[in-house]
Amino acid sequence: MGIACAPSALGTAAGADLPAIEVRNITKRFRDDVPPALDDLSIVVPQGVIYGILGPNGAGKTTLLSILCGLLKPTAGTVRLAGHETLSPEVKRMLGVVPQEPAIYPTLTGRENLEYFGRMQGLRGSRLAERIEACLQIAEIGDQADRRVEHYSGGYKRRLNLVIGLIHEPRILILDEPTVAIDPHSRSLIHQRLRELHAAGVTILLTTHYMEEAEQLCHQVAIMSRGRVAVEGDVHALLARHRDDSIQISLDRDPPSNLAQALQGLPSVGDVNLSGRCLTATAPHPLEATLALLQTLGEHGVGVESLDYGHASLERIFLIYTGEDARP
Amino acid sequence: MNGNLSRFLASVLKDTRIIARDRQALILFFVMPVLFVLILSLALRDAFGDRPGATFPVLVIAQAGDRVGDSVEASFRTNPHIQLTRMSRATEAEVRAWLVQGRYKFAVLIPDDATGQAQRRVGEIMAQVPPELRIERQVAVRVLVDPALRSDYRKVLEGVLDLALHEVEMRLAREQLEQTLRITQGKDYAPLPDMEQTRLLAPLPAEPVTKGAVGPTPTSVQQNAPAWTLLAMFFLTVPLSVSFIKERDQGSLFRLQTMTVPAWVVLGGKAVPFFVINLIQMASILAVSVHVLPWLGGDPLELGDAPLALLVTGASASLAAIGFGIAVAMYARTTEQAASFSSATVMIMAALGGILVPKTVMPPLMQDLALLSPLSWGLDAFQDVFVRGGGVRDVAPEVLGLLAFSAVCHGIAILRYQGRL
Repeated sequence: MGIACAPSALGTAAGADLPAIEVRNITKRFRDDVPPALDDLSIVVPQGVIYGILGPNGAGKTTLLSILCGLLKPTAGTVRLAGHETLSPEVKRMLGVVPQEPAIYPTLTGRENLEYFGRMQGLRGSRLAERIEACLQIAEIGDQADRRVEHYSGGYKRRLNLVIGLIHEPRILILDEPTVAIDPHSRSLIHQRLRELHAAGVTILLTTHYMEEAEQLCHQVAIMSRGRVAVEGDVHALLARHRDDSIQISLDRDPPSNLAQALQGLPSVGDVNLSGRCLTATAPHPLEATLALLQTLGEHGVGVESLDYGHASLERIFLIYTGEDARP
Repeated sequence: MNGNLSRFLASVLKDTRIIARDRQALILFFVMPVLFVLILSLALRDAFGDRPGATFPVLVIAQAGDRVGDSVEASFRTNPHIQLTRMSRATEAEVRAWLVQGRYKFAVLIPDDATGQAQRRVGEIMAQVPPELRIERQVAVRVLVDPALRSDYRKVLEGVLDLALHEVEMRLAREQLEQTLRITQGKDYAPLPDMEQTRLLAPLPAEPVTKGAVGPTPTSVQQNAPAWTLLAMFFLTVPLSVSFIKERDQGSLFRLQTMTVPAWVVLGGKAVPFFVINLIQMASILAVSVHVLPWLGGDPLELGDAPLALLVTGASASLAAIGFGIAVAMYARTTEQAASFSSATVMIMAALGGILVPKTVMPPLMQDLALLSPLSWGLDAFQDVFVRGGGVRDVAPEVLGLLAFSAVCHGIAILRYQGRL
C-alpha cells in the first residue's frame, strides 16, 4: 500500500529551499535554580528527510518536541517551520504529531477515533471518508476498524496512533518514540510506512532510543546530551567518520579511579569515554593508539577481555558523545 | 457549515459516545439521585409541611375529674404533636424514673384538689382579701422534662400548658363572678354571654405568604427534590473533571492542542453532553417526585405554575456545575486529585447551601454563610417556584448569580487551557 500526499505550501517553489524545521539557539529554562532543559540548541531539518533525535533520558528531547508542536514557548531562540516563525493555523495544518503513548480514545472504535481527529483537522464529507479508509489501510487495521480500541493489541494501538497523525496528510510528521514496546511485525510495518511517507515527500522527525532503528531509518540524526546537540549530521557520514577512529575495549575488572585521567592524557588518543568496564576512544591512527591504551591499562593493573576497532555504529557514537547507554 | 462548528459537533458526538458506553456511570448519573430523592422524601415526610411530624410523649398526673387536669388534658389532646398519657396517681420518684428511661419527654404533675384550691383562691381575690391575709396559695403545678428534649420543643410544650392553665383560671374566675352576681342581683341576674363571644382578640390560622397567589405548604419533597437535583448536578463535576484528566493522561488532549482547535470547541464539546445529562436528571427527579412518590405514600411534588422558571433555574445550575467541574479539571494533576477535590468541595457547598440540612433549621450565622454557596442560590430559585409561586422574574437574581459563577469558572478554565493562567 503506497502513501500519497497532497501538495502543500511546503512543496511549492516559494518554499522549496527552506528547511522544514529550523531551530536556532533555543534555550528553555523551567526554573532559574536548575540547568536549562535546552541550552542554546540549534538543528536544521531539511525538507524530505527522516531526521532522528537521539539522546538519553533527560537530554531534552520531549521539551524540544513540545516547542516544535507549539505547546511550550522557548525562553530564548527561534523556531521556524517551513520558514514560518509563528505557528499559524496554516502552519499547524502542515504538522502531524504522533505522541509516544497512543493518544486515542479507548472506548471509541478505530474508525470513530479517525473520524473525530479528522474532523478536528478540518476534514469533512467524502474527503474525510476517503482519508479514514486510506488510514485504515495504511495501518492494516481495517478488519478491526469497528471494534473499540480498548480491545486492540498494543501494536494495533500504535499503528492507529500513527495514522491518526497522518489523517490530514501532513507535510511534516513528528513522532515521539513511535516503536517503543511493540511486536516486531508492527515495528516493521511502521518502519515501512515511514519509508513510504518519506518517498511521498513528507519530512519526518522522530525521537528514538533504538540506535539500530535510527541507523536503518534516518538520513540525519542529532545526538542530544544535557539540552545540547552533542553531534549532528548525516548518518552515513557520521558512521564513516567514526569507522576508522573508534576503539572499543572491554576491561576484565572495574578500573581504578585515576585510569580515566591517564587515558585522556595519551597524545595518540582523541576522545576517551570510560563507562563501567567499557572503554571507548577515537584516534586518527587506531593501531598506535590501541598499543598506547593497552600499555596504560597494563600499568594500572587492568586486563582486557575483548578489543575491537574500526567498527562504527550509532550505538558507539551515542556512547562516545553522551557517555550513557542509549536504552533507558 | 463553519469549520469550528463542525469541530464542536464532532466533539459533542465523541463525548456523548464515550459517556453512553459507560453503563456504570449512567446508572450513577440517573438512578442514584432518583433513589436518594425517593428515600429521603419518604423518610423525612413527616418532618415537613402540615403533617404531625415528630410526636412527644407527654404525661399528665391529675386526679380523675379534676377540672384543672381535664383542661390541661384537653389542650394537649388538640395538639397533633403530643402523644398524651393521663394518670390519676403516681409518685414524683416514679415520674422521674420514667423520664430517665425515656418513656416520657415532658411530665405535668397537678396536685390533688387543685381545682378546689384554685376556686378558694379566686374567691379570696374576688372578695378583695389583702394578699398577706389570703389563706390559699397559688396551686403549684410542677413540670419535669427529659433534658434531651430540644429547648424549642420544650418551650412549645410549656406554652401549651400555660395556655391551658390560663384558660381554666379564666373559667374559674368567671364562675366565681357569676356566683357573686347571682347573689347580689337576685332575680335581676342575667347569665353572662358565652365565653367564646366575649373574646376580644381572635388569632386566625397562619396563612402561608407566597410571591404569586396562593402557594402550597412546603413539604418534604419540595425540599428534597430540588436539593438532590442540585446535588446530582454538581456531583457530575466529578466524572466531568476526571474525564478531562483521563484525556490529558491518554495524550489525546495533547494531540488536540497541537491542532488548530480552539479551546471553546474542546471544553464546550465536553460540556454539552453533561448539560443534557443534568437536564435529564432534573426531569427524571421531578417526574418521579410528581408521579411515583405519592404512589409510595409520600407527598406529591407541586411544581408550581412556572415551568419556564424551572427550566431556566435547572439550566443555569447545570452551567454553574459544569463550569466548576471544568475549572477543577484544568488545575488537578491526577484523576484522584480531581475526584477527591471536586466531591469534597461539592459536599461542603451542599452542606453550606441547605441541601443536606434545610436552611430553616440553621442558626442565623450559617444562614448568612449559606449565601456563599451556588447550591443555595439554586435551591432558593427552585423554592421560589415550588413553594412561593414565583416565576421567571422571581428567580432572576439567583439565576444571574449561577450564570455569573459559571462564566467566571469557564473563563478561568479557558485561560488555563490556553496556558495564560
